[in-house]
Amino acid sequence: MDEARRESLRVWLAQAADDAGLAIDAMARLSGGAIQQNWGLAVRRGDGRQERWVLRTDNPATLAVSHSRSEEFALLRAAHAAGVTVAEPLFVCEDAGVIGAPFLVMRHVAGIAVAYRVVKWDAIGGGREAAARAMGRELARIHCIRPPRADLAFLGHPPADPCLAFCAEQERALDAAGPHPILEWGLRHLRRTAPPPIAPSLCHNDFRTGNILWTEHGLAAVLDWEFAGWGDPHADFGWLCARCWRFGNIMMEAGGVGPRAALYAGYVEAGGAVPDAARVAWWELAAHVRWATIALAQGARHLSGREPSLELALTPHIVPELEWHILREVAAREAGLERAA
Amino acid sequence: MSGVLERPDAADLLAIARTTVLEEILPVLPETHRLAARMVANALGIAQRMIAVDPSRLAVLDARAAALAQSAQDPWAGLCALIRSGRADPGTECHAAVAGLLADLAQLRCETSAPKTLAGG
Repeated sequence: MDEARRESLRVWLAQAADDAGLAIDAMARLSGGAIQQNWGLAVRRGDGRQERWVLRTDNPATLAVSHSRSEEFALLRAAHAAGVTVAEPLFVCEDAGVIGAPFLVMRHVAGIAVAYRVVKWDAIGGGREAAARAMGRELARIHCIRPPRADLAFLGHPPADPCLAFCAEQERALDAAGPHPILEWGLRHLRRTAPPPIAPSLCHNDFRTGNILWTEHGLAAVLDWEFAGWGDPHADFGWLCARCWRFGNIMMEAGGVGPRAALYAGYVEAGGAVPDAARVAWWELAAHVRWATIALAQGARHLSGREPSLELALTPHIVPELEWHILREVAAREAGLERAA
Repeated sequence: MSGVLERPDAADLLAIARTTVLEEILPVLPETHRLAARMVANALGIAQRMIAVDPSRLAVLDARAAALAQSAQDPWAGLCALIRSGRADPGTECHAAVAGLLADLAQLRCETSAPKTLAGG
């Protein structure tokens, strides 16, 4: 960010914080975020207090399915009010003229999110059992948020049937990505075996290892709310527990972090209904299909020529591994259906 | 020289480039650039395996897809349409043939993009 934009940001923040003496002592791009850019800000208030904030703004080419910064800000406020452990949302700026794109600012929270480190860390969040329970409690608080909500009107009406809506959305994604018959195979199975709709809740829709900040004492923050929406709460369990999001620590079914039973226990402890195992299994298979279509969309950003990137170019090469597991899971589920018939 | 193009060929160049990145460049890079170097090595490895695929394997898979989709024009799009329409669901005549083709397709795609998967990783 050049000097002119940094000064423009300082002026805007001083006004938003009602603190004319506010200064930005340091500003550095943080790692991670294929869709958004995150910047760490070291801010000095007019009275001399030093604070650390995080600024989130859009990358040049964002996925069409992600929320705007002001929508993400509204989601963070709703989650914060519901007791979800999130970074406190501070300000949102919809004026692209200030730094070149809309942005939001939240309080910095210390912790580790890097997935490959998190899954190898036995002391995570007070131990694996405690960490999985903590994730369950957070999900219960998120799922307490139910439609209709005037502050979340931008989420639209909840889908009449979240499972079938998911199938339709993925079919559209595959139409855009080009022929991928193994993903079609998985999706066709999901459509044929979709469970009936249940009462919708707010779903984070990207609640997984890598998007949760940890310290050795506990869960520090649930990050990245840009895909949140109304849906079947089991979708969040499926995404978190899917084999593809365990980062190699397959035996720890709750995101490679801890045991699934502890996750569910934490959920119930915080007021959630006992998760339906069959429904979660459906969403775990769905998670593989969804991650595959996201990976294809990321590859398309590189292929478009507008955003050449080695990281984006490599992402679609995750798809064959996902397909391998989809084929095996579909075969196992079909065999189970046949035995039950 | 062997034929029109000079040797070492593409496969050989990719292999030695990958070894150089991993063994000579990566160890002396600062932490901030190691991920990028690993991605370069990964990309070279995938490219190496892609150009090593015997074209006859691709042709056989294309032909099987065309036969099932009954479309030589765009066999894979045709196969996708067949699957989506339910005409390859369990209990249909072509279900086992489609499942067999997809298993072979998955095998080849993993061999190039994700060989560790086939080793159970």
